[in-house]
Amino acid sequence: MDFLIALVGKDFVLTAADSASARSIMRMKSDMDKMIPLSSHALMLLAGPVGDCSNFGDYIQANLKLQALTNGFEASTHATANYVRKNIADALRSRGAYQVNSLIAGVDEQDGPSLYYLDYLGTMVKVPYGAHGYGSFFTFATLDHHYREGMSLEEATDVLKKCFLEIKTRFLMNLDSFKVRVVDADGIREVEVAQP
Amino acid sequence: MSSTDKTVLASAGFHGDVLTLVKRIGVRMQNYEYQHRKPMSTPACAQMLATMLYGKRFFPYYTYNILAGLDADGKGCVFSYDPVGSYEREHYRAAGTASALLQPFLDNQARALARIPDYIGRKNQQGVVFEPISKERAMTIIKDVFTSAAERDIYTGDAVDIRIVTKDGLEEHRFPLRCD
Amino acid sequence: MSIMEYNGSAVVAMTGKECVAIAADRRLGAQAQTVSTDFQKVFQMGPKLFVGLPGLGTDAITVSQRLKFRLNMYTLREERDIEPKTMINLVSSFLYERRFGPYFVEPVVAGLDSKNQPYVASTDLIGCPMETSDFVVGGTSSEQLYGMCESLYKPDMAPDDLFETISQALMNAVDRDCLAGWGAIVHIIEKDKITTRELKARMD
Repeated sequence: MDFLIALVGKDFVLTAADSASARSIMRMKSDMDKMIPLSSHALMLLAGPVGDCSNFGDYIQANLKLQALTNGFEASTHATANYVRKNIADALRSRGAYQVNSLIAGVDEQDGPSLYYLDYLGTMVKVPYGAHGYGSFFTFATLDHHYREGMSLEEATDVLKKCFLEIKTRFLMNLDSFKVRVVDADGIREVEVAQP
Repeated sequence: MSSTDKTVLASAGFHGDVLTLVKRIGVRMQNYEYQHRKPMSTPACAQMLATMLYGKRFFPYYTYNILAGLDADGKGCVFSYDPVGSYEREHYRAAGTASALLQPFLDNQARALARIPDYIGRKNQQGVVFEPISKERAMTIIKDVFTSAAERDIYTGDAVDIRIVTKDGLEEHRFPLRCD
Repeated sequence: MSIMEYNGSAVVAMTGKECVAIAADRRLGAQAQTVSTDFQKVFQMGPKLFVGLPGLGTDAITVSQRLKFRLNMYTLREERDIEPKTMINLVSSFLYERRFGPYFVEPVVAGLDSKNQPYVASTDLIGCPMETSDFVVGGTSSEQLYGMCESLYKPDMAPDDLFETISQALMNAVDRDCLAGWGAIVHIIEKDKITTRELKARMD
């Protein structure tokens, strides 16, 4: 039931994830963080079984940190996404696969902002906007219609709000709490977006 | 394939069902003529076929049908069906085991523009002069299309029967395909 | 739902007179949902050699990377470019290594050999090779592509003719397949140049 969404703007990536933690039909808490920073300028959003997500997220985060320490520099978003993909793809053909769908958002000095869509099979593709979970069925149409290349943060936030509204009106489940973060040249920061 | 002088039915699939279906259509068309003192029109026949197919909704005729002929205005009409009677009037249609091979080619070479029914367009082609499709051109397309089907589809047979419905009556042709 | 149809794809390759063409659609989907319209399925493996990988998206990426690795090892050891004929054998043996847990791709190889003769071939997902003199197809639209190619293809086409033919074959085929399409890319390989064109196709 997780819902992840992200879109690339002029010099940033705007990301959002719902913050509900559910067990069966019960909501256990409403302030879960489904994002994990992979470097100072790269953020991973995870959807799937919580065990797989946290274990995989922590593993990737720790290994990228180790790489940054040994190499003396942080990996680019492209390299990070490829590293994550390889781990998912290798795990898929071994004893236990990670059932995690993810979005990787990052900003690089040379390449600018970028967003990678990854699913649990290890399918990776660079996209201008992406979404995972049931919410994606409702929001892709909104994104197709309203997304423009090189949007400002204000414009991007407006589009995101439209997506939230769509979820609120059309999705059976009550997804009302989202965590919204922006990745830009200054790093990762949380922003408040008023819920519809 | 079964026909009157104005209406032709092409039916693919399980031959036992094809024979039964054709027989029952024949009976009903005969009855219609006795009762109304005129032959059944193609669109009427199309509607009848749909109800007959749907009548066996839960034990369907295993047949893929295309009905063709002339309508009340004397214009050509093609009706395509699924096995349980959903039907639609169209300008061209391929059915049967090789339908996936043939349909895109028809789109490309014989697509009729829906809003200009008498004119033939070509999908994915630019700067094409729209012109009515001639009998000769239709024959060429059909022969080409079946030659291709016989090449790749193992279920497509050794020859193709072609019927042409015009206001002057019915023409019948038989065109041999590769015999393997 | 077959795993070969999970992402949706269409790849076709054709021979011409001293030229060869390979084309693919650009959609990546998750069943009926389109995720991207900019997904690469054709990979350059040499100055006059391309490999198309229709099938499961993740395996297209994995196989392209592993093939590139094996190809680099070959080129380093032999100190020359690989022949297309050798490439298909490399692909075939690579896939057969995973006979009982295959990569879900149906590779299509297209290129000019050292004598600039056109070559196309394909394999199934466990590496059974198939060489043809005219065209090969792969992906969810393969039936439609067979119908199109069988009727449009003629031997010894010039590069311009070949481009038009392969483009028409691909576009009209994917328009009758819900899982493929959303743009297309065509590579024409000639002895002294490679032309790559992105086709303006139906986006629905």
